[in-house]
Amino acid sequence: MLLELDHISKIYGDLHAVDDLTLTVPEGEWLAIVGSSGSGKTTLMNMIGCMDSPSKGSVKLEGRKLEDLNASQLADVRKNMIGLVFQKFYLVPHLTAVENVMVAQYYHSVVDEKQAMEALERVGLKDRAHHLPSQLSGGEQQRVCIARALINEPKLILADEPTGNLDEKNEKIVLDLFRQLHEQGTTIIVVTHDALVASCAQREIMLNHGVLVGEKWNDEQARAAYEAAGGRPASTGAQVEGAQTGETAIGFADPTKAAKTGGEE
Amino acid sequence: MTNTGMFFRMLFSAVFRRRSRAAMAVIASTVGAATLFCLAMICIAVPQQMNQEMRAYGANLIVTPTGDTTGATGDAAGDSGAAGASGSSGDADAAKAAGIDAAMVEHTTEMVAAKGGEKHATYRYENVRVNAAPYVMAGVDAAAVRNLNHHWVVDGSWPTAGKVLVGRDVADAIGLKVGGSITIGYRASDNASGASSADASSAAGESSGASSATSSDPSDEGAASHGEAGGETSAQSAESPESDAAAQSSQSSQQMQDGRVSSDIMDTTGTEFRVAGIVDTGGSEDSIIYATNADVDKLTGVKRGVDVIEYSSGASDLNALVTSINDMTSMHVKAQQVTKITASDTRIITMLQTLFWIVSLVVLVLTLVGVGTTISSIVSQRRNEIGLRKALGASSAAIGVEFYVESAIYGLLGGLVGTAIGYGLASWLCVAVFERSLPFNWGLGVASVLLAAIVAVVASIPPVHRATRIDPAVVLREE
Repeated sequence: MLLELDHISKIYGDLHAVDDLTLTVPEGEWLAIVGSSGSGKTTLMNMIGCMDSPSKGSVKLEGRKLEDLNASQLADVRKNMIGLVFQKFYLVPHLTAVENVMVAQYYHSVVDEKQAMEALERVGLKDRAHHLPSQLSGGEQQRVCIARALINEPKLILADEPTGNLDEKNEKIVLDLFRQLHEQGTTIIVVTHDALVASCAQREIMLNHGVLVGEKWNDEQARAAYEAAGGRPASTGAQVEGAQTGETAIGFADPTKAAKTGGEE
Repeated sequence: MTNTGMFFRMLFSAVFRRRSRAAMAVIASTVGAATLFCLAMICIAVPQQMNQEMRAYGANLIVTPTGDTTGATGDAAGDSGAAGASGSSGDADAAKAAGIDAAMVEHTTEMVAAKGGEKHATYRYENVRVNAAPYVMAGVDAAAVRNLNHHWVVDGSWPTAGKVLVGRDVADAIGLKVGGSITIGYRASDNASGASSADASSAAGESSGASSATSSDPSDEGAASHGEAGGETSAQSAESPESDAAAQSSQSSQQMQDGRVSSDIMDTTGTEFRVAGIVDTGGSEDSIIYATNADVDKLTGVKRGVDVIEYSSGASDLNALVTSINDMTSMHVKAQQVTKITASDTRIITMLQTLFWIVSLVVLVLTLVGVGTTISSIVSQRRNEIGLRKALGASSAAIGVEFYVESAIYGLLGGLVGTAIGYGLASWLCVAVFERSLPFNWGLGVASVLLAAIVAVVASIPPVHRATRIDPAVVLREE
């Protein structure tokens, strides 16, 4: 497994932002973490992305326990294995699109402007490469963010609400890009409250107030492969009503998807 | 593009594409650097200017011949002829009478000049008679004396060939006017004066009377040494002219009156000179007649060395200079400080320097706070960017280097502009107050620019340190 979460919790005082979650993600899987605002999706993503550490439990990435690593080693894991896509893009405002992509190269290994331009070309922004973020639309900025995330060819792309600030047209462009990356074998974990975005993933898990309350597969072939490889359903040790505590996945409906698609599948 | 190239590309972008924020940082550094550089320049320049101003009020060091009979002075004495006093006057008096020859004046001046800027003037004193009454005449280089004593008030002009400058007291006593004539007589006997311990110059000193043993000199302290130059054998300090004068007075067998020695020799013959001007200093100079060295040589028929060299020295440690000259016994000269000028000069300059450095220190602290707050605020505004860079895998050290170098650039730019503005301000102040131009102090300029850069970097350390310590997730969540 590429990612293994073993009974992880993130606790702020009395609040359990993530409560005793166990989850495994194989390489090449596209997983969506869904849930309403405040359900602990982003907290979970930050812990997977080595930007935050769990209060309890263990996170393994490619078999390495993250809690055993110091800050410098965590930074190495981030730059070598993970590509980050943010809802608010977080582009450096005084750098052009291509320079923003090159920043990721700069901290990873060696700057290569030609490669950065190719990444921008891949997201359809070659002709906007020398524009500052303020001169780009939201969709264009998100595509720059995706180009920056994929420039170092990471094994895992973590996307936090990647379409949250985009219109439908740009949402489709971004999702198409994720599909391309997935087809190339990149593992993608998307955090979203948008069921339509989530439905593009092979597998979805749902959080509610930090507790795992459901899991469903959108790709049965992927599910079979997962189970054949020894993969087990996600689970939580939290003893709350509706929690997915056992070996059986609890299905869930996507109300936002129905609203967007008008009930069509 | 290399990573180094990317590093500078990011720096360039941060500085020149965020102009308004960069301008804030540069302006803060500029104001600090300008204020500090201006104050520091004034701190350094004002005491120097004051020193120069004080130097215009006469000598702070005098050099007179000693009575040592060994060495070159003996030759000079032999050459002079006038000092060939007989009897028990001895070689010591002869040596004093011969004065300090030109070569020794030059050598002594070189020693003084080696310790700092200097101006000097030489004086050869002779006893002369005007209408049979004795007066002191000084052979001088008018330009040198004028350059040394800016406080002398001269009605008319300075002495030239055939023309003399007379002291106010002399002019009043004789009733002289500028443009008038004066007949000056010279008698070798006055300057040999019979007394076993006195030579020509001491006679001049004695003739000036107890209170005017000092009056043969441009300054009170200097007067004491002039008396010594005149052959006084007792050791005397420039700080205690009175005791010296008293000693002279007790040795004198002549009656003192109105600053002159009364005489019963009614010989009024002599050489006629025009009165070029009348000098009024309110001091002992008013009792002396000044002529060019050539005229004194011609009048006396004798060429000899000078009795006193007066220096206005810019040396920081006059005591050391005096000691170094006095240690050179082979020079046969004795140096003494004019304590009054030196002490007051030092006191005023020390007070000024202390005042300016205190003000500078206060401004430095205020600058640190101002620049520090501005840079700190600017860095704090970029916490999200720092968080993003960390999320992309940057180490805290790498981020620190980027931000510190960027702050240093702000400091350097501000320092350069501020130093230029500070110099402009300091120059304007110097011209307005001292009416003098102010040369640029390159050492201080470089220090000012570097200090501005260091202050900017130091000011950015706390916010950068804070931002790089926290988890990137926390920083990114804050926006």
